[in-house]
Amino acid sequence: MNWKIWSLKKSPWVFHVNAGACNNCDIEIVDLLTPKFDVERFGVKLVGSPRHADALLVTGVGTRQAAKRVQEAYRQTPKPCVVFAIGACACGTGIFNSGYHVVGPIDKIIKEIDPNAIIAYVPGCPPKPEAMISGIVKALSAL
Amino acid sequence: MNQQELDNRLSQIKNKPFGSELRAELLTTIERKSDKRIFLLCEAENAYAVNKFLFEDIGARFCTVTGIDSDKCFELLYHYSYDPTGCVITVKTFIRNRQAPAIESITPFLPAAEWIEREIHDILGIDFRNHPNLKRLILADDWPVGVYPLRKDVKK
Repeated sequence: MNWKIWSLKKSPWVFHVNAGACNNCDIEIVDLLTPKFDVERFGVKLVGSPRHADALLVTGVGTRQAAKRVQEAYRQTPKPCVVFAIGACACGTGIFNSGYHVVGPIDKIIKEIDPNAIIAYVPGCPPKPEAMISGIVKALSAL
Repeated sequence: MNQQELDNRLSQIKNKPFGSELRAELLTTIERKSDKRIFLLCEAENAYAVNKFLFEDIGARFCTVTGIDSDKCFELLYHYSYDPTGCVITVKTFIRNRQAPAIESITPFLPAAEWIEREIHDILGIDFRNHPNLKRLILADDWPVGVYPLRKDVKK
């Protein structure tokens, strides 16, 4: 394991990207970051810029307007990085599948600019914070 | 004013003139679904006067506007709540011209309607005449001009 992967797994700092979510997943992410769930025991910390982040927590279906911004956030994230698609919409567009504004899901948007991106999926509407912790731990142990 | 008086005033505007801009048939029909739910049906050119009457004379509270692409026309439903009796009044307006749908904007006397009219302009392509700021509100910046996504003839 090279030191970049080691440091990513040791303490994945996360940046939260909303790509057209209804705010439900976002609230659960805020829940996840509270002391009750204490994700800092895994080194997970919310940062204010993708340039400081090791992982992107992407919520929402990936709208036409948001897709370019998600790609830009991904471009600015130092590699290697992990993209977490949080929620049913981000994983597979969910109920908004045939909406006129939808270009998602998130994996499609990210793979347009980086076919080898590491993407982890946390389904649910919204996923519980426990599910997100489980997803983060699984993704990091798979690296 | 109680429900009875409200009913009376609403039926007055169907038959009797009010204001200066009045036409003979301002409303086509008054549909009374229940004590708390009244529909006022009118054509697009009368909608401004009916809305102004409901908002300024009756004092009903403006809730929102719904836009529908019906088979032969566009429908705009202006929803009002008359809070003293809890009655919901809906002005159902028919825009018959499908090629260039247009209606008088109610924003000049009712600023709360500005954004919903902009939204309907975005997604149904209805032109609100005399709207002070009819810019794109919710569609993406790169959305093609002249494509109205919630019209029935648009395919994804």
